[in-house]
Amino acid sequence: MSLVSGPGRGGVAAGLPQELSLYMDKHVSYIQSLDRRKDEREYWLTEHLRLSGLYWGLTALHLLGHPDALPRSQVIEFVLSCLHENGGFGAAPGHDSHMLYTVSGVQILATLDAFDELEARVQGGRLKIGQLVDIAGLQDAETGTFAGDEWGERDTRFLYGAFNALSLLGLLHLINVDKAVGHIQSCANFDGGYGTSPGAESHSGQVFTCLAALTIAGRLDLVDQDKLGAWLSERQLKNGGLNGRPEKKEDVCYSWWVFSSLAMLNKQHWIDGDKLANFILQCQDPQMGGFSDRPGDMVDVFHTCFGLAGLSLLKFPGLIEVDAVYCMPRAVTKRCLSK
Amino acid sequence: MASHGIARSAGSGVRSEAARRIELQQIETYKDLVGLVNTKVAERQYTVEVLALTTKLLTENPEYYTIWNHRRRILQKLLSDTAPDEPKFTSDQFIEQLITDDLQLTYKLLRGFPKCYWIWNHRNWILRNGEALLDAPTSRKLWLGELQLVSKMLQADNRNFHAWGYRRFVVAELQRLTQADEVPPEGPSLTESEFEYTTKMVNTNLSNFSAWHNRSKLIPRLLDERKADDTARRKLFDDELSLVCSAINTDPFDQSIWYYHQFLMSTLSPDCPRQSQIVLSHSNQDRGSYYEHEMEYIRDILEDETDCKWIYEALLTIACSYLEVSVGTNPFTTSDMHDWLEALQRLDPLRKGRWDDWRRSLNL
Ligand SMILES: [Zn+2]
Repeated sequence: MSLVSGPGRGGVAAGLPQELSLYMDKHVSYIQSLDRRKDEREYWLTEHLRLSGLYWGLTALHLLGHPDALPRSQVIEFVLSCLHENGGFGAAPGHDSHMLYTVSGVQILATLDAFDELEARVQGGRLKIGQLVDIAGLQDAETGTFAGDEWGERDTRFLYGAFNALSLLGLLHLINVDKAVGHIQSCANFDGGYGTSPGAESHSGQVFTCLAALTIAGRLDLVDQDKLGAWLSERQLKNGGLNGRPEKKEDVCYSWWVFSSLAMLNKQHWIDGDKLANFILQCQDPQMGGFSDRPGDMVDVFHTCFGLAGLSLLKFPGLIEVDAVYCMPRAVTKRCLSK
Repeated sequence: MASHGIARSAGSGVRSEAARRIELQQIETYKDLVGLVNTKVAERQYTVEVLALTTKLLTENPEYYTIWNHRRRILQKLLSDTAPDEPKFTSDQFIEQLITDDLQLTYKLLRGFPKCYWIWNHRNWILRNGEALLDAPTSRKLWLGELQLVSKMLQADNRNFHAWGYRRFVVAELQRLTQADEVPPEGPSLTESEFEYTTKMVNTNLSNFSAWHNRSKLIPRLLDERKADDTARRKLFDDELSLVCSAINTDPFDQSIWYYHQFLMSTLSPDCPRQSQIVLSHSNQDRGSYYEHEMEYIRDILEDETDCKWIYEALLTIACSYLEVSVGTNPFTTSDMHDWLEALQRLDPLRKGRWDDWRRSLNL
């Protein structure tokens, strides 16, 4: 089961209609087609992303209102085949476990409401996953930040990953939330933004991870909301797209990270939503489906997920509501978090 | 899979049968290599030969993180059991060879994949592990070499945040080594030379916010290191202000420069955290006169550039700071503030909601 492979083929950049529409059916069939590309080298070269690819594709399908477009039992089967003895998930069978794929695995199981199946197949499965983060010591006891795996790379992406997965599993108490929150504060800059680690430049991806983690922890009071909102709003460029840092190019994935961050601060109205929607729609491949980073570029499932999530957050008609913090259907996070 | 900046037309249309056959052959060869590496590692054949196989595979696919992990498993074994009966000299040479081989491999791969997290991460790992096994001068030599590598990477892309992050990490490592040394090295400290490096970078390209950012982090440390007194601190602050002000004059539409200006202004605030402060003893009187001076300078630029929104935003922001410390008569009127907001709304309709909120909070 793989959805990661491949940029879409063909697609004519020119000749988009003036009134942009969302090619929902094309996107559904684009995502479904991704698992049938085993005769392409790219399919094999992207095996190290497979579980995340599945999360991106599944989330896109749910937002499109086609939750059953992938066979549920096959998806669960594949996810569980990536689970390691230590409670972590690898990107594919035979790949080492890592925080990035552990989050994807948990997000997929949550979206499919499959925690019971997990328990049935792996005794104490939920706790086991939770303990990867806890017992395997991925949280740095001194600084509160997280490593991605036993090899020790540290980054606020992994801190957010731990918060995301553990809150969905109802196991946030396994980690030291206050210490982690303190670490996020130490990554804050004068512009209100956050970097990968203390001293690093503010970066939209890291702003998203820090803000989302603070939202999960219920500590948005620590954020300089006006300053950060201002910085985020300046990410919008004339063509409507958003960039990741000052003087960089616009991109559909950054559009999601910036806009969802603005949503967490209740400041969506600080940018032009219509122009953003227009920019995202221009990144579609109208023939083959899928979204690219910028108009006219190759599509892929990563940008397809974040393009649709952005449109959903913009309340584009016909899409299912997305949760800005988790990038998952809102109905799913509501169900998990109320337990 | 997460492709960036690849034109859609570059995607092949329909492959010819011959092209398809070649691709299938490539897939088989690749899968064989993957299978071979995984089997050997599963059998714990942590040898120089298997290490070479991982080199081959990682060169084809540096994003394959599990193979980097395998490589580290092999290296851990090779580094730990250099034969005890061999003379120390030989085993030291062997260790250094293993480390420099990995530095060369990752350097080659970074040139092609400058944004691949796993490669940067491995480089960091090999150096940290090497340090425990090498003598201090050799370690220092290797870490110093890293500064040159990062400079090369930043020459190719002066905003690469992996490279900037790694640069800060290398500097911190070198400073840690220096502290451990009995005899401090001669010449200027690293904080000084790093500060010089950011000067060079912003002089080459004023739009390089990554360099301005690093500068903002270096200055407070630099002053602490110099044990700068109040006069020296004020001098440096004034120099920075005039540097950024002349940059604003050169290109008032460049937001990187305005952000650095905002940083300098933010250090005047009574709420500025100690680790970001430049001058430690600002009175409200000082603050007021800096705000006044900046406003005057920016209003001068306004005379030639009436359509630059950054100017109005800066004026309004400084006005708000001025009102907070409220000393003496304001160098601006409420009607000035009103006009600046009008201009922002006119020039920058994308952020209309933000200007509306600002107007409401200021009661304008
Ligand atoms: Zn992107």
